[in-house]
Amino acid sequence: MTDAFAVNEFYHAKGWTDGLPIVPPTEERVSECLDAAGFAPGDIIGIEQVRQRPIIAEKAAINAVLAGCLPAYMPVVVAVLDAMCDAQYNLHGTSASTGGAAPFIVVNGPVRTLIGMNATHNVLGNGNRANATIGRAIRLVLINVLGVIPGEMDRSTLGHPGKFTFCIAEDEEDSPWTPLAQEREIPEGQSAVTVMAAGAPRQIMNEWTADPEQILETFAAEMRHNMLTYSVWAGNYVLVIPKQLRDLLVAAGWQKRDIREYIFRSARVIRSDWAKIGKANIVDRSGGPMQEFTALKEPSDLLIVAAGGPAGGFGAVIPPWLGSKARAVTKPIDL
Amino acid sequence: MTIRVLDPSFEESISTVVTPKRLKSLTGSSIGLLDNGKPNSREFFDHIEQILRSEYAVANVLRFEKPDSSRPAPADMIAAVSRCDAVISGVGD
Repeated sequence: MTDAFAVNEFYHAKGWTDGLPIVPPTEERVSECLDAAGFAPGDIIGIEQVRQRPIIAEKAAINAVLAGCLPAYMPVVVAVLDAMCDAQYNLHGTSASTGGAAPFIVVNGPVRTLIGMNATHNVLGNGNRANATIGRAIRLVLINVLGVIPGEMDRSTLGHPGKFTFCIAEDEEDSPWTPLAQEREIPEGQSAVTVMAAGAPRQIMNEWTADPEQILETFAAEMRHNMLTYSVWAGNYVLVIPKQLRDLLVAAGWQKRDIREYIFRSARVIRSDWAKIGKANIVDRSGGPMQEFTALKEPSDLLIVAAGGPAGGFGAVIPPWLGSKARAVTKPIDL
Repeated sequence: MTIRVLDPSFEESISTVVTPKRLKSLTGSSIGLLDNGKPNSREFFDHIEQILRSEYAVANVLRFEKPDSSRPAPADMIAAVSRCDAVISGVGD
């Protein structure tokens, strides 16, 4: 290739991008990425179980460079791919489904500060290279290595913007709560990723109370709404709780465990609720109008992440792709 | 100046795949119908079964329904399906 512009045009012509420009994956840069993660080119990071297709380290590194990753991000990319190859993640089903889910990634531990990840302002949006390019690297591996191409294996009806990138860090420094990874059996001081196939974030706001139950009721209402308008099946939900609402919950003495218990009790619907939202045809099915559904099978299904800018009584509910057919998976990052 | 770059896509290690021989006729054959279990797939396959029996003189139609539409069929189901002369796999929604 004559220059980076020619490389970009060539990769677009080959269908090797997500539609955005790419960084030329030179041998030197790919080699730096492999070294940073301690992999040889031919090492296998994981195997997609349905097509039995291996994710080779060199291919992952090439896609990480394409995405704009620095070599130091590579251990995170590897851990995410490792998590997605766990059977619980249901990689093939979640990638091929009309439901249009994206891998939602939460990073915990020292690696966040080491590579400068963002956990505060605009955390679910743009602005940070590590957040943006780690998530994008995963998408490019899906496209280029696993063939998750829209209209081919990716049968998403709509998809959502998180399919470009959907990766955040938890704000461990500014939260007294136990970080997500440690709640999921990762030792303190160990970096880790948690990944789940997720729908788009549903933003809530409640700036009119300091009462923890009322604050959480707004989150629970959004979950109920997702159950009614999208999918009723119980599974992993994520709550992203920024500082303003977090401080009120903390001041009232609420830990993540208390929040999970409250949401488990409150995020429920009954079949007759569907009559109000255009789904009256299914009210009388199965268990009848009073049949109850819970958003969570058990309180531990709720993943709570302290993240977001300091001002504003906002929060986000990130729903699962399809109940518990795919589960959140947590894996350590080998630095 | 030139830039040397690498291929990001999966490269198959097996270059040829052998497909099974097509049946010369459906008459007297056993045909498996593998249903992914989604809404309306049963009705769709009921229709296919009726056509196979009435218009193509298929001897046996064996019906299989996946327990989970988003995961592969279980091994014992795949084994049973592979004993048919031919299989139609389909999805409903």
